[in-house]
Amino acid sequence: MFLFLYRTIKFAVQGFFRNFWLSLVTIIILVLTIFSITVVAGINVVAEQAIESVQDKIDVSIYFKPGVSEEEVINVRDRLQELSLVESVLYVSKSEALEKFRVQHQDDQIILDSIDQLEENPLSATIVVKANNLDDYPTILAVLENPEIDALVLDKNFDDNKLVISRLSDLSDKIKRVGIIISSIFVVIAILIVFNTIRINIYTHREEIAIMKLVGSSNWFVRVPFIFESIMYAIIAVIISVAILYPLLGLVAPQVSNFFDGYNLDLIEYASSNFLRIVGLQFAFAVILSVLSSSLAIGRYTRV
Amino acid sequence: MIRFRNVSKIYSPDIYALKNVSLHIKPGEFVSIVGQSGTGKTTIVKLIIAEEKASKGRVIIGDWDITDIKEREIPILRRQIGVIFQDFKLLPRKTVFENVSFGLEVAGVKQKKINDVVPQVLKIVGLGGKQERFPRQLSGGEQQRTAIARALVYRPKILVADEPTGNLDSINSQEIVSLLKKINQFGTTVVLVTHNREIVNSLRKRVITVDQGSIISDQKSGKYIL
Repeated sequence: MFLFLYRTIKFAVQGFFRNFWLSLVTIIILVLTIFSITVVAGINVVAEQAIESVQDKIDVSIYFKPGVSEEEVINVRDRLQELSLVESVLYVSKSEALEKFRVQHQDDQIILDSIDQLEENPLSATIVVKANNLDDYPTILAVLENPEIDALVLDKNFDDNKLVISRLSDLSDKIKRVGIIISSIFVVIAILIVFNTIRINIYTHREEIAIMKLVGSSNWFVRVPFIFESIMYAIIAVIISVAILYPLLGLVAPQVSNFFDGYNLDLIEYASSNFLRIVGLQFAFAVILSVLSSSLAIGRYTRV
Repeated sequence: MIRFRNVSKIYSPDIYALKNVSLHIKPGEFVSIVGQSGTGKTTIVKLIIAEEKASKGRVIIGDWDITDIKEREIPILRRQIGVIFQDFKLLPRKTVFENVSFGLEVAGVKQKKINDVVPQVLKIVGLGGKQERFPRQLSGGEQQRTAIARALVYRPKILVADEPTGNLDSINSQEIVSLLKKINQFGTTVVLVTHNREIVNSLRKRVITVDQGSIISDQKSGKYIL
């Protein structure tokens, strides 16, 4: 077994270097494929993160009537918090609301004086609800339709946000769908290009394969060096792709961040924290594609 | 050593490459199989090395009936029969040494033994100093010698030569035939498939003549009769 592995690896290395130009062309095609697919995947990630960032900025405020006690508001908050669809519930008491109001209008003395003239705090307690998904808001707010709670509520800004939420939800679904379709078409084209390149590569060796069989090679002794050669293509292609992609990302990421100013979108951070995952996926994709292509292509020529 | 019993090879209902051929080649014999192009000579070679399977009849090599040989057994058979071809069939990306040693590597022979045996065989075929060359750097005669070295390195009991001089000039052809005679003298059964009249007549060995897929003559010390 050791001798078999040693010899097949030796033949693979020999084949790689003695057919250098063909190997180089195959690697370039693989690099272009990995590069393109990673860029398409990257665009999907940016789109998804942008949508998430916008979604993150959406919440619904529920304003309580002035006479409602703090205990009653906290009760409603707890009921909402128990829902699995709710990501967070923020309680803003009457005094906190007043404090915020003062800070917001600190430059407007007339407003501040007017507030001071009033004997009671005119602002009501509020709770701010954030859902896990845009689509979850109607379900969450249905809870507030309960007559017990409804009697306590002065107003909610959901109706103002309703149109924005529904349009955004619709848009994000469409972007995701289009992203999946375009990426799938692209991946299929890329796979076909790599598959054909490797097939042509193997085709040029068809006589060699036949000779190997005629002098007593088993199918495995013919196949395995080509498979190792394909793995070499994949490893080198991934290294080159990463060497191109990461510096390029360093150049592009600040522009992307500028474009999405105010949103939490850090591509470098994403690429660094997902480095192993990205390289692993690229490697798995390249190895599976090249090994599968060469195995299928060789099969045709080993029937001698 | 090689036995064909009523062998036919049919490609389509009305195309017979071989028709009811029976022959027996004994160990140590030197047999020429002659005939014009397309008469079935190469089909006989292909049946011997299991590149094709007989449509009817039985093919027996030594004690092994290879008529219904399994796919995985073919490499084992081919490691016991040396074959040389008209177009040499050398591996273009391998040196002379690597071409000759390839068969041994495939068979799992240890490197030390390969390093001992291959130079000896190359010396026998007259390629002692050219083992690092690639096939494209050799003349036709040298390429055929490399192919003979590759066939001999297993120490096969049978050597099948399919038109080995077809691509060579007369001087190189004579040298290759001399080499085959020498190999036969060491006890290897040699089957020479050719349509070269001069060579066959100079050999004065057994000649089997094939015409339109059938054996029309089998002479102990024969001549090219077509």
